[in-house]
Amino acid sequence: MTFTYRIADDVAWVSLEHLDVGGEPTAYLTRVPKGLPIMLEGSGCLVWLALAEGGTLEDVTSTAAAMSDADVDAIRDDVAALVDQLVAIRVVDEE
Amino acid sequence: MDEHREGRAAPVAARVHLAHAVVQKLADDRAVDVLHLKGPAVLPGLRAEGRQSSDVDVLVRPSHLPRLVEALESVGFEQRTHFETGSVFAHAANWWHDDWGWVDVHTSWPGVGLDAEAAFDVLRRDRVWREIAHWGCPVPDRTAQRLILVLHAARSRGDGDVDRAWTAATADEQTAVRALAAELDAEVALSAGIGELELYRHHPSYRLWRHYSEGGSRLDEWRARMTAATTLRAKAGLVAAALRVNRDHLRMELGRAPTREEVRARQRLRVRRAANELVGRVRHG
Repeated sequence: MTFTYRIADDVAWVSLEHLDVGGEPTAYLTRVPKGLPIMLEGSGCLVWLALAEGGTLEDVTSTAAAMSDADVDAIRDDVAALVDQLVAIRVVDEE
Repeated sequence: MDEHREGRAAPVAARVHLAHAVVQKLADDRAVDVLHLKGPAVLPGLRAEGRQSSDVDVLVRPSHLPRLVEALESVGFEQRTHFETGSVFAHAANWWHDDWGWVDVHTSWPGVGLDAEAAFDVLRRDRVWREIAHWGCPVPDRTAQRLILVLHAARSRGDGDVDRAWTAATADEQTAVRALAAELDAEVALSAGIGELELYRHHPSYRLWRHYSEGGSRLDEWRARMTAATTLRAKAGLVAAALRVNRDHLRMELGRAPTREEVRARQRLRVRRAANELVGRVRHG
């Protein structure tokens, strides 16, 4: 069975160039209204931006790879692990 | 609680974006009408790029204030200043949250003379939606935002917002801002913001806005406020406020709740400062 992933409806997030930390792409997110602030830096931010596009894990991995000029096979396991964590803390929906 | 530390992870500018979304979600859940102002709520082109806010400003429908306060406090916001002590206009109060920082809740906007509930209706009438932290937030339309920025500048000497909000506006846009100011009874404050205050030289609030736009001593300010207070009740309220120590500000200054003795000491200081200003006037007058 193939799942699709997307950012949960109750998540607010921002990722803007002037908010990047140390030149690394950074995303800030939270579940509103009671969640804690979460920060995703570097490749974590790229995966988040890929999740904003939505799709299967393969779609998300491909999009993240394209943004970072990385090899899809080289990042597949790391992307899957991060997406699992994001699903576990309910900022990403798995359907 | 420590309002001087950063949030747990996010820098101030990032958490301001997220905090707008938090406030909007709270408002949505309780059917509270709010408009987001300033900072990331400002529409493109109306303020300098890259300018960052350190707090969230929202205007709430006055009759919905109790529901918004309950909502804010339900998720950990703590009230730090009150409406009667937050500013001379008694228009806003502040709440602090360890993760989201400051939220300034406004029930009116200084310079607007129309009844606050009616003024909110006018400002909300043409609202537009702006995504802040990917969350839909209602904000005043471009004309209202121009007026709000100019009115803010009128009481914040040296504020550069007038250049973009007014000077750079087309003649039609300026006409629309003037019409809105007339509807909101905000013409005197608008004139102070755009350098036309002398047109209102005989208006009761002329001296008040001249003070805010040009500066002066606290005594000048109080004299101007007394002139602008057109009823006996309003004047009496001002006198009472003049002698009252602002416990909220004293608390922030001390970093803890002031003791009774500290409030008394500050009271003596206020009286002495007022006396000194009077003496200075007599000597230089």
